[in-house]
Amino acid sequence: MSSEHPTRPEDFDLYALGALDDAERQAFESHVVSCADCAEKVAAARGRIAILAFAAPTVAPSPGVKETLMRQVIASAEGPSGGLARVKPEPAADAGVFARWWGVLLPVAGAFALATVLLWLHNEQLNRQLADLRNTIEQQKQELAETRHQADLIAARETLVVPLWSQKGTPESHAEGHARVLYNAKEGMMTYDGWLPSAPADKSYQLWLVPMNGAPISAGVFNPQNGEMSHMMMKLPAGVTAKEFAVSLEPAGGMTHPTGPMVLVGPIS
Amino acid sequence: MVTAEKRAELKATDASLIDRIVQRDESALAALYDRYSGMLTSVLNRILRDTQAAEEILQDIFYQLWRNAAQFDSSRGSLSGWLLVIARNRAISRLRRHNPASGDELSENTVVVASNLERSVAQQQLMAKVKSALDNLPKEQRAAIELAYFEGLTHSEIAQRTGDPLGTVKTRLRTAVETLKRDLHS
Repeated sequence: MSSEHPTRPEDFDLYALGALDDAERQAFESHVVSCADCAEKVAAARGRIAILAFAAPTVAPSPGVKETLMRQVIASAEGPSGGLARVKPEPAADAGVFARWWGVLLPVAGAFALATVLLWLHNEQLNRQLADLRNTIEQQKQELAETRHQADLIAARETLVVPLWSQKGTPESHAEGHARVLYNAKEGMMTYDGWLPSAPADKSYQLWLVPMNGAPISAGVFNPQNGEMSHMMMKLPAGVTAKEFAVSLEPAGGMTHPTGPMVLVGPIS
Repeated sequence: MVTAEKRAELKATDASLIDRIVQRDESALAALYDRYSGMLTSVLNRILRDTQAAEEILQDIFYQLWRNAAQFDSSRGSLSGWLLVIARNRAISRLRRHNPASGDELSENTVVVASNLERSVAQQQLMAKVKSALDNLPKEQRAAIELAYFEGLTHSEIAQRTGDPLGTVKTRLRTAVETLKRDLHS
């Protein structure tokens, strides 16, 4: 405990102002705590310094603070212990609280709206990708079904495998042409795989099934790209017994019966 | 329109209102709130610059007054002074992340304010007087006072903040409080 009174009157104001550093403050307090005269001077200095608060810009409290306080007071009086019951502000009755919350909620709502739009766009993109994938899967399923069907067709005991070759007398440009036909008369299923040079611009190739009896049946018209193999699968009338298969060069779009030269022929042996 | 009851409360002294609060008269607390909440909100906002934090402290102060009014001795000091001191202490504690004031603030912080601030007119007059007194201080002295009062900085902290020698800061503050004491309380 210090027995020395503060040496200058301003020391009380500086103490009340909180400007004294720790050592000075502790020395000051150790004296004041036991000196009634200095304690009175401290009380007066606190009053002089306290009114500096009036230098602050005037701000009114939100109306909701008083309402919340009074509800808190009533709740504490009604509580079992009359003690520390706390009441939270009620935003609906408090414009100030509204203003504060709007300050927080508006940016949050804006961010939420933006995030929603972005998510929606992302979702749309994902939906499109999903639709594309479904289409691809469907296409692959169809291809797989065709492949399986061809495999079944080839494996079937009654399926004919008929090679087609160019014939003597055909133009030299077609001399290297060749093809293979798989034909299942029972089901009327037929596949064609072959190579031929590109047809002239005003011409098409046409595949024919030549039955044992009757006129040739058109099995399809095709225009192979230069240097590429042609692949076709056709469904013909079931139960037709074939004598041979042939490919003719016809006017573009094909004919109802063969009119042009036969470039490939495959007789059933 | 001001009712007769409202007029009576406006005329009531702080001491009588405190007595009524001790008797659990909620309207007395409401009257004191109306009387001093603006003054306190202003200083709390100036220190914290955070309306929500300021209003939380404001509510807590008045709730403490409701709970412990019996401990307040009106003969020893003024309620307005006590409210200002407690508001500032709590705001600075929050600002500087100090622990809240401990102990019994009502009985330990005796504050004597020369002016009677029970009337709003008196508060308005004192406000003008304080602002004028601060405006008349040299710029450096006013800055030092504001750093101490509104930010809770000590001599050393002000010197560190401003880059001025510690002795210079001490002299500025000492001179400033002397000047203010003369201008405000002469």
